[in-house]
Amino acid sequence: MKCFKITFLVLVVGLLSQPGFAKVDLVTLPGRDTTQLTIYNSADLTLVRDGRALTLKEGRNKLQFSWANTLIDPTSLEMLPKKNADQIDIFDLTYPPRVKNLGVWNIKSGIRGKVPVEITYLTSGISWRAFYMGTLAPDEKTMRLKGYVRVTNNSGEDYENAQTRLIVGKVHLLDQIAQLARREHPYGRPGAVPIAGERQVVLKAKRVLMDKAEAMPSAVGKMPEKKEITKEGLSEYFLYTIEGTETIPTGWSKRLPSFDAAGVPVVNLYKFEQRRFGERPVRFLSFKNDKTHKLGETPVPGGMLKVFRIVDNKQHLSYEGQSSFKYIPVDEDVELNLGPVQNVVVEPKLMDYRTDNYTFDKKGQITGWDEIRTFRIKVKNTRDVAVKLEIKRNFNTNDWDLENSGEYGEFEKEDKDTVKYALQLLPRSDKVFDYSLTTYHGSRKDKH
Amino acid sequence: MRFKMIGWIVLMVGLTIPFMAQARTTLVALPERDATVIRLDNPMATLIEEERQLTLQKGLNKIDFSWKGVNIDADSIRLRMIDHPRQVTLLNVSYPPNEAALVWEIASEDDFVETVRISYLLGNIDRLITYKAVADKAETSVDFRSFFVLRNFSGEDFDDAMVQLDDGQAFKQAIDHEETKRLLFLKAGNVPITKIWKWDSARLPWDPEKLNNQNIGIPVSYRIKNDKASGLGDHILWGGKARIFQSDGYGSTIFLGEDVSGLVPVGEKMELYVGDSRDIVVTQRKMKEKQINIRRTKHKSNPRIVLYDMDEEITAKIENFKDKPAVLTMIQHIPGEWKMVACNLDYKRKDANTLAFEIDLPARSDKGPAAIDLKMNYHRLNLRP
Repeated sequence: MKCFKITFLVLVVGLLSQPGFAKVDLVTLPGRDTTQLTIYNSADLTLVRDGRALTLKEGRNKLQFSWANTLIDPTSLEMLPKKNADQIDIFDLTYPPRVKNLGVWNIKSGIRGKVPVEITYLTSGISWRAFYMGTLAPDEKTMRLKGYVRVTNNSGEDYENAQTRLIVGKVHLLDQIAQLARREHPYGRPGAVPIAGERQVVLKAKRVLMDKAEAMPSAVGKMPEKKEITKEGLSEYFLYTIEGTETIPTGWSKRLPSFDAAGVPVVNLYKFEQRRFGERPVRFLSFKNDKTHKLGETPVPGGMLKVFRIVDNKQHLSYEGQSSFKYIPVDEDVELNLGPVQNVVVEPKLMDYRTDNYTFDKKGQITGWDEIRTFRIKVKNTRDVAVKLEIKRNFNTNDWDLENSGEYGEFEKEDKDTVKYALQLLPRSDKVFDYSLTTYHGSRKDKH
Repeated sequence: MRFKMIGWIVLMVGLTIPFMAQARTTLVALPERDATVIRLDNPMATLIEEERQLTLQKGLNKIDFSWKGVNIDADSIRLRMIDHPRQVTLLNVSYPPNEAALVWEIASEDDFVETVRISYLLGNIDRLITYKAVADKAETSVDFRSFFVLRNFSGEDFDDAMVQLDDGQAFKQAIDHEETKRLLFLKAGNVPITKIWKWDSARLPWDPEKLNNQNIGIPVSYRIKNDKASGLGDHILWGGKARIFQSDGYGSTIFLGEDVSGLVPVGEKMELYVGDSRDIVVTQRKMKEKQINIRRTKHKSNPRIVLYDMDEEITAKIENFKDKPAVLTMIQHIPGEWKMVACNLDYKRKDANTLAFEIDLPARSDKGPAAIDLKMNYHRLNLRP
């Protein structure tokens, strides 16, 4: 089904004519020559660039552009001549009264004939998202990471043979494009608010359009096709340009491969922090977006990663879990939270508690004391693969001293009331370490 | 369809004829508008000035001015004589009951074809200012354009009115009721810009790791100066919505973001928040927070703390994952009375409790992200429990 909602008329009027529609002559109805879509994922926003060849006559020309049943922001409409720009004056863009979804450019042309122009506008309803599939090697030391993008067109407009570009980045918007597209008047109106009932009809019509689009079976949207995606940084954004052109009718989605990196070294990182995660360690899959990890060409857009593992030499898979992750700049560490586990165990136990160093005032009242707690931390890796374990301990005071003993690995003070232990655990192994925490209370804080 | 909601009737009555309501029904002349000015320099109200030719006869003339379906502030209506201000005198203004109308009584010393100028505040017609800036690929300058959006929902059509925004040149424009027009108003190429990244410790989370799967975006702004050196500076820049694009180097652009600017007088700066950077990461931690110099009451049994200082240490790691250098403005806040004990980076005091660090971040290298560490030890003084 083809449904071109955007129409374009070139109307030419003599220099002496009054600016009324009845006196204009229809000259040509140009189609799109080229289309470029720049689609954002942090907002419901797409920048559309339409290339068209207009046939202009010398003198005044009126160019009519209409966009019924689309989600175009009319305030974003702009036209730029791509040739002879010095001989083409664009006086204004008029949104005529009592006509919806229509704009008229008033142009004075010093030349006659075909002029390439570019119409740009922002539209809502086209979106893209990134998602990933990771396949761990049996030893879980490496992972094959495949990235995909899925572009969905619910804009109400078919885009045929459009150059498709995707933007990774967080754009600052004042207004939602969809809301601007649904306005009764392009720039709103001063004074009284339009009648609610009339507006309701408009919204209902749009909703039907969206429902229809959403009802399309998702399977028909998956049209995998091997294409290169070039990636480039611009300002604070990353621009992905999909090779060639794409045709995405309204209501349809398209999945495209983004990258495929085999043999990405990964670390099984388990984290234990009672204040943050509760009593169970949480499994993280850790790697870095750099060349050492077969990545690092570009930042990785945020998305959902489903992790599988090859379990036998017949390449059967098991599903390990899924994690959404944030945008990852080049060279940044990635930690994918795969959820709490039972096969790595951390057991902190209070082994000893005592108080000491009491101080008293002249009436014999207690003014200060120390509390000494000895904890034993037992850790156990029940898995067949080596893991890295990070244990954080939080204290409820800033006045403390600590003594460690046993196999505690690397120790670090994280902040004023948090410490971190990093341990490497071999397959099916366990470790034990102790720490003695002295906290200072009352006047003993002064002495510390 | 043309609306003519504002009507004029000129009545000439002899000096001895008493003022009567029915006298206003005698049509003598229906003067057409000659010149109309729509003044939009006050964003709160739009002033219309229109000139008409009145055929006045010697003696008393009554001019009936009425309107329907338009929102005219009746108290704002003024009438001035242009050709014979000394010989033609406005005697009084009457308001007929239950009508959107008024009647001027004008005394004329002779028969004149008098040009009069009437001005009034008209509702539901106004203007917006919007901006479009297209930055070059290197983000050093922008192609800066300002658009004037005239919205007419006043109920009145204007044919070839002179539209005046401020002390700049007026331009001729026709606009009908319920029509909106957007016109290019200002164009300046190669306007220099400064790009600013700003991290404020009071506004943004300190530890990215504690936010599960969320990036902390550092606000990025463009700064444009409204002066001659920037190719601007002729007029104030009115407040309005600005959309910022960037050239991609291949003849196309990407949309960077949008912001709303306040009014920018000549010589002042416009700062437009474009979007967030996720390639600069700040991790800040408080490493020490300890009471010192404690003063207690002299009570022997239960001495209470009455005064103390707080010894605090802040560390921050600033990492630049971008392949370009950047200057990060880092804002730190220390409440109350304080003194700095040690700080490894230079800062400026913006006010009593705000410190601004301008931190030069080199680009990412083969070794990884460029990282700068801040360590700041200060005492908050004379605190009471």
